Amino acid sequence: MKVFIELGWYFKQRKKQYLTGIILLIFVAFLQLLPPKIIGYVVDDIQKGTLTGGILAKWLVVLAVAALMMYVLRYYWRIMIFGSAVLLSRQLRQRLFHHFTQMSPSFYQKRRVGDLMAHATNDLSAVQQTAGAGVLTLVDSFTSGSFVILAMALTINWKLTLIALIPMPFMIVLTSYYGKLLHERFRYAQEAFSDLNDKTQESISGIKVIKTFGQEQEDIDDFTRLSGDVVDKNMRVAKVDSLFHPTISFIVGISFFLSIYFGSKFILAGTMTLGDLVAFTAYLGLLVWPMLAFGWLFNIVERGRASYGRITKLLNEKAEIEDQPNAVDLKAAGDLQFDIDEFTFPEDNEPALRNVHFTLKRGETLGIVGKTGSGKTTILKLLLREFEGYQGNITYGGIPIKNYKRDRLRESIGYVPQDHFLFSTTIAENIAFTDTTASKEQMIGAAKLAHIHEDILGFTDGYETIVGERGVSLSGGQKQRISIARALMMKPELLILDDSLSAVDAKTEEAILQSLKETRSGETTIVTSHRLSAIEHAHQIIVMEGGTIIENGSHEELMALGGQYKEMYELQQLEALVEKGGEM
Amino acid sequence: MQSPHEQQQTLSGKEQWVVLKRLLSYLKPHKAMIAFALFLLGLSVLGQVAGPILIKKFIDDYLTPGNFPTGPITTLAIAFIVIQILHVFVTYVQLLKFQEIALKIIQQMRIDVFTKVQRLGMRYFDRTPAGSIVSRVTNDTEAIKEMFVDVLAGFLQAAFLIIGIYIAMFTLNPKLAAIALILLPLLFLIIRTYRKYSAEFYQDLRERLSQLNAKIAESISGMSMIQAFRQEERFEQEFAEINGKHYRAGMRNIKLDGLLLRPAVDLVYAAAIILLLSYFGIASFDHAIEVGVVYAFVTYIDRFFEPIGHVMMRLSIFQQAIVAASRVFRLLDEPDMEPAQREQNNASIADGKIEFQDVTFSYDGKTDVLKNISFTANAGETVALVGHTGSGKSSIINLLMRFYEYERGNIVIDGVSLKAYPKSELRKKIGLVLQDPFLFYGDIESNIRLHAPDMTAEEVKAAAEFVRANEFIEKLPDGYLEKVTERGSTFSSGQRQLIAFARTIATKPKILVLDEATANIDTETEVAIQESLEKMRRGRTTIVIAHRLSTIQDAEQILVLHKGEIVERGTHQELLAQRGLYHKMYLLQNNILEDDVI
Repeated sequence: MKVFIELGWYFKQRKKQYLTGIILLIFVAFLQLLPPKIIGYVVDDIQKGTLTGGILAKWLVVLAVAALMMYVLRYYWRIMIFGSAVLLSRQLRQRLFHHFTQMSPSFYQKRRVGDLMAHATNDLSAVQQTAGAGVLTLVDSFTSGSFVILAMALTINWKLTLIALIPMPFMIVLTSYYGKLLHERFRYAQEAFSDLNDKTQESISGIKVIKTFGQEQEDIDDFTRLSGDVVDKNMRVAKVDSLFHPTISFIVGISFFLSIYFGSKFILAGTMTLGDLVAFTAYLGLLVWPMLAFGWLFNIVERGRASYGRITKLLNEKAEIEDQPNAVDLKAAGDLQFDIDEFTFPEDNEPALRNVHFTLKRGETLGIVGKTGSGKTTILKLLLREFEGYQGNITYGGIPIKNYKRDRLRESIGYVPQDHFLFSTTIAENIAFTDTTASKEQMIGAAKLAHIHEDILGFTDGYETIVGERGVSLSGGQKQRISIARALMMKPELLILDDSLSAVDAKTEEAILQSLKETRSGETTIVTSHRLSAIEHAHQIIVMEGGTIIENGSHEELMALGGQYKEMYELQQLEALVEKGGEM
Repeated sequence: MQSPHEQQQTLSGKEQWVVLKRLLSYLKPHKAMIAFALFLLGLSVLGQVAGPILIKKFIDDYLTPGNFPTGPITTLAIAFIVIQILHVFVTYVQLLKFQEIALKIIQQMRIDVFTKVQRLGMRYFDRTPAGSIVSRVTNDTEAIKEMFVDVLAGFLQAAFLIIGIYIAMFTLNPKLAAIALILLPLLFLIIRTYRKYSAEFYQDLRERLSQLNAKIAESISGMSMIQAFRQEERFEQEFAEINGKHYRAGMRNIKLDGLLLRPAVDLVYAAAIILLLSYFGIASFDHAIEVGVVYAFVTYIDRFFEPIGHVMMRLSIFQQAIVAASRVFRLLDEPDMEPAQREQNNASIADGKIEFQDVTFSYDGKTDVLKNISFTANAGETVALVGHTGSGKSSIINLLMRFYEYERGNIVIDGVSLKAYPKSELRKKIGLVLQDPFLFYGDIESNIRLHAPDMTAEEVKAAAEFVRANEFIEKLPDGYLEKVTERGSTFSSGQRQLIAFARTIATKPKILVLDEATANIDTETEVAIQESLEKMRRGRTTIVIAHRLSTIQDAEQILVLHKGEIVERGTHQELLAQRGLYHKMYLLQNNILEDDVI
């Protein structure tokens, strides 16, 4: 029940709705008492022969009014209580989403998308259950249960009430016990299902191996065995699940038997009428639901507590990189000074960067080359302030980047990542990502700069073509060029191309670089690449290896140096030749 | 998790009917069990219906007149208790049986789908994401299970109970029972109206939910982009909009449920009670009424409404199951099967001589990826395929392995067309080692043995020793029984490749096909791998796709492919002498620059 206290803030926030809902519930519980009572009165009058048209009409009208009122009240408490529960999940979901947008990359490195999704879906729905069905069962089982028992004891016969209630605690205990068993067995069934899922996943991923060894039939046999296990585990669930109904009907049956047996005695003794007995048994029928609900309540609440705990834990994670107090509220611009003595990623032992120092003047282009893992992207990540905690300093326009407001720094940087990520919406919206109000001309301008305009016109829906699973599947090169257009749209002070031309052919690469050079003469650009042709014309080139700079200079200087850069350059010339099939 | 992008298609009434009929055809093999379950269901309903009649008898015959002969009353009491107890058992077994039938049906359906998947051609796997196939086999069938367990059994139970109650009411008082029949169209009307709106509202809610989840999933995946471009607020706005729409859809459902579900059923219940009381009340004005009958009717009306709400809540499950089933059936009807063999009596591979005769091939029917490929690999010889990515090397292997069907030209082994061998013969005699050695969850031994049941532990060991995989395996704490986790991620790529070698050698193939088997290998294991490869090739016809040219220098024939054609062929020395494409590749790989070559 602790979860109700933990959710107290929300109940307070929706005080009006919850109170109204609960009051309506209590009214319904009260009105519910009328039909059995009226049945009892009418039966008595019939038996005694005292029933008149007037009396009958009176009772029927009362019954009809009560029924209509119940209908209306039942409708409204649902809106109040269930509606509040849905609103709670909406609020929590929005809060989670906001929280996700504030988290640093290291947060996402530690977690899988699937796990985060589970919080936003399964856990939220368990909490919603608690705030809706949980509150309902709590209130309803208490009020209905106690009202019915009171009505039976006070208006009919308290002795008979006690006798009839004897079997009921067994029902609460048993259904609650079944619930626990069920939960446990259900978990095993889920595990078996998940094994089957993994097996299927594996068979489909490894279909070539299976086909190669001609083991399709054997694999099917294996699948059959696992699916048999799913059946077994589910049968174990069914064995408990099927207990609910017979148990309830047995216990209720015993209760009925006791009521009739002892009720008859009371009738003979003259302490009760026949109508009372009929009303009494009708009340007994009304008790079934509150007793059942009581058994469920524990399970709902237990699950809700665990889920709410997980959500709160997630929401309490602090963002690792936050604006400093009195952060500089200026758009970052100017020369870039990169002085890193050492940087190690959190949870890594080896430093990713050592002694990397360079200065990049405003308006110049820097090329960074090196093998995978040499530290190229790490330099960019630090520039983007995705990670902090380095020894050294990075300044932009003379101000350490740590001191800028995060947003003002990002405002200056147009970043084109290595693993280009496009959103599953139209191409237009992907390009005009930073400015949804941009004019079509601006967008086309950026697309032309990135040399993707022609490709886009080639799609049936042009700029309105949907990207991704639900739309057209783009080639790697097309995605890269759209990513570039996206970054160019914001006319960035600093453009960063992180190996973003790798899937583009050499000719297009050259054309893109040329148009960038023409339009971005006043702004700064950083290009990393495996392919040296992409950085050949940069003002400054640094060659990275093992997290540090091994060569540094312009293309001509590095060629003259005759070191690694020169060797790489010549090998790549040869490689280009092989790709073309050996013809010059 | 089901892909959020899974398209929700709407089926017309007629299509739904076709799908349902096909679903119900799965019941056929379980006829006997179903008959038994239905029999029990009948008994269980009988028990439920009999209780009130006994009490009615007690009230009217003994309680009202106030006479209590011990004998008959004891009989009545015992009958009541016995019926209660029997009812418990019968109901339990009956509920269990229905579940069992449903589970068995789903198991069969899963096996059918999985079997179908195993027989599909590679083309199908090329164009269908793995996740969506998995979804068909597991999630969609799970949705169908809900239908069999909850809906079908629930509907039957409700129908039986209602019929049983009506029969009991007719025996007690035909006239009143006949009047009570008007409840049926009333309920039917509510159910129909509810179904009409709920189908739409519920579908809408589900779609909103999947949009919501897709948005979260996409935003999480693209969070670095959102943050780098400062679009957090816009995404929150967009999310709030979807979240709001989902909320409104949720509220609409709550309102609909409030109007037409439980409260409405309860209202009809009250109407039934009013009907009952006015009937008995008016009747009592001119003749005496048996109070027991009133009691029995009140109880029956009570029970009558119990299953109605239950059934209505499950209507949406039914809708989902039909959509899921239509997806499953579409996969079951998929025509893109693996290439068929036109088996010739007992054709078998004895020597392993392979001939490609003017083979031209296209995956999509438009662009040819192989053009007029002809070559011969004599028994025991090694033919190496080299070329740039996309040159057609892998396509040659794909055809030789019968992953894809070819129409133009022919591939002949030992003088017999590849298409004429029984599939089992091809699988037994041709061993393929893939570039990415796929390991299965299990242990090392099970990964070498795979599903071959008659392979002894000695044979597994011998195979591992042959490729020198034993050296690292024996150093593992559990040796051959060392656990292999998902995709073998705890082993280095070299170790995984050695296990894959052992797996291939263990089947003692005549022909060996190596698809860039040394492409992703760390240097420590490379030497071991090279030696193993050499050993494996001895005495076997080998087709090898080479990544590193150094590994194929001793091949009898090297084919250089470019854009689907063989542009150069010969031995290593011959090709070097030609100073063509092969020569340039060789220089490149050995990091020798042209001017350094003497």
